[in-house]
Amino acid sequence: MTAPAASVTRFAETRVFLDQISTRVGKVVVGQDVVVERVLIALLTSGHLLLQGVPGLAKTLLVAAVSKTVDLAFARIQFTIDLLPSDIVGSEILDQKTHEFRTHKGPIFTNLLLADEINRAAPKVQSALLEAMQERRVTIGNQTYPLPAPFLVIATQNPVEQAGTFELPEAQLDRFMLLHRLGYLTKEQEMEVLRRNVQLGVRRDGKGAVARTEFDVLGEQTTGSSEQLVRAMEDVQKVHVSEAFLEHCVEIVNRTRKHRKLDLGCSPRAGISLVKASRARALIHGRDYVLPEDLFALAEDVILHRIRLTYEAVAEGHTSQQVLQEILSEVAR
Amino acid sequence: MSVRSCLRGFAAALVLGLALVAQSRDQRTAGVGVRAYIEQIVLPGSELIAAPTSLKAPVAVRVLKVWPHGSLLRYDLEWTGLEAGEHDLAKFLARKDGSPTQDLPPVAVTVTTVLGKGMVEPSELKPQPAQRLHGYTALQIAAGVAWMVGLLAILLVGRRWQRRMGTPPPLPTLADRLRPLVKAVATGSADVGAKAELERLLVAFWRARLDLREARAVDAIVAIREHAEAGALLRQLEAWLHMPTPPAEADWQALLAPYRSVTAASFEPIAAKESR
Repeated sequence: MTAPAASVTRFAETRVFLDQISTRVGKVVVGQDVVVERVLIALLTSGHLLLQGVPGLAKTLLVAAVSKTVDLAFARIQFTIDLLPSDIVGSEILDQKTHEFRTHKGPIFTNLLLADEINRAAPKVQSALLEAMQERRVTIGNQTYPLPAPFLVIATQNPVEQAGTFELPEAQLDRFMLLHRLGYLTKEQEMEVLRRNVQLGVRRDGKGAVARTEFDVLGEQTTGSSEQLVRAMEDVQKVHVSEAFLEHCVEIVNRTRKHRKLDLGCSPRAGISLVKASRARALIHGRDYVLPEDLFALAEDVILHRIRLTYEAVAEGHTSQQVLQEILSEVAR
Repeated sequence: MSVRSCLRGFAAALVLGLALVAQSRDQRTAGVGVRAYIEQIVLPGSELIAAPTSLKAPVAVRVLKVWPHGSLLRYDLEWTGLEAGEHDLAKFLARKDGSPTQDLPPVAVTVTTVLGKGMVEPSELKPQPAQRLHGYTALQIAAGVAWMVGLLAILLVGRRWQRRMGTPPPLPTLADRLRPLVKAVATGSADVGAKAELERLLVAFWRARLDLREARAVDAIVAIREHAEAGALLRQLEAWLHMPTPPAEADWQALLAPYRSVTAASFEPIAAKESR
């Protein structure tokens, strides 16, 4: 087999693997194809993902489904006001028998970490997690431990209940490659959710039984191995990025910095994230090159959390979404 | 009333008078700013009052009480020294009936100070003129007139200046921007930046033609891809600009031929054009 032919075969295999993940997750989670795609993009690029949506949109179920499908270690932390950094990264414990300190590694030592309601924890806890996300290692006592690879944080936050929360500052939001806003399902999708729920039944547990939930539907058998995931991650790096595409990215990022309605434009990290995420999307869509379509599809998730409206723009009733669409339209003008 | 009771009353009055004399104060020396009293002092002539004084007077005197004392009068005086030195309180008293006070004996007092000689004294306070409390309406009218004059000056001078400078050139339309780019790319003289801009302008052209200006950017791209004519153009452009190995050699001349002479009217939505 020639080198290009081998490359095409490998791309095809990767695409089948990614399709299988989407299909398997789709069996459990209804109508969140875009979110599944975003989770895959985050997984393939080692970028972190922040999901914003009201409770009950199957955020946790989705992440659990992805982790079980790809055979990744999964941990979930429910962020609360009394959570401590040591509850996440771990701590040193005095062993009463040996009279020596023993390291207890926290739940962050996993492949896929779901940080549920990240804005409920105190800023020092948020920064402990975000530091680990950035550096991919944590320090407990005097020892520094690398985090497992792949390491991905999928955090969630509820945009409605803001009382008793600590909003993530722009500098910390910038560390999330994508911020995806989940919306409600369509009528048909919600009907399908209810249909599936009706058929769940009960699960026998010893002499008793409990009503089955969507989590029980998740089988223990995985669709792919972590080796396949690593190969897919390598394939993302082979996706061709043209100079013209880079021109489009730089143009968009620059326009956010000059727009009169924006107080804060995108950092260079936004441009990097746009290119990385576009490469992963191209692979998911079976292409070995990126297109402007990838850029436009991902712009909201990559850019919206990195820009801030001016006071005047807010007073005039403009939203970040409107301004971004203006920028994207101007780019294509 | 018996003689005995009269004697008793006289004795009581005498005791009271002696007690008052014994209690009376005669403070002839005091520090600057310290209040002092000279009581039960008998002075000749008609009734005395404090003479009108000025802010610069070295001593301030007040007549607290006056009693008849035989044919004379007896006084309780209060004084406050404002300048160190020896002073005569008689100079600061005047007759109630306006008659001269030359016959008054001197009432010498000494004002002491703890400050050393040659002290630099604070600058004298200069009274400020009272704030102007009238003429507000006139001031408002004057301000209004000044504002109107200023506004007229700005408008008239601005217009004259504009006339002199001429009207600014209108911003180039999309068509104006598209034509030179098409020409440059077709002749092979355009760099990557120009080709990328051409792609963006062609997307904008078709967004306008297909009436997708209000649609989200990603939805607009998808819709353009689905259109027969626009989709073919976009796919060809994407192949030449973004694929690592394009399927065919780029023939920009042929691809861009329909866009060489676009005008502002070419950007009108197709449906709107057909309905005319």
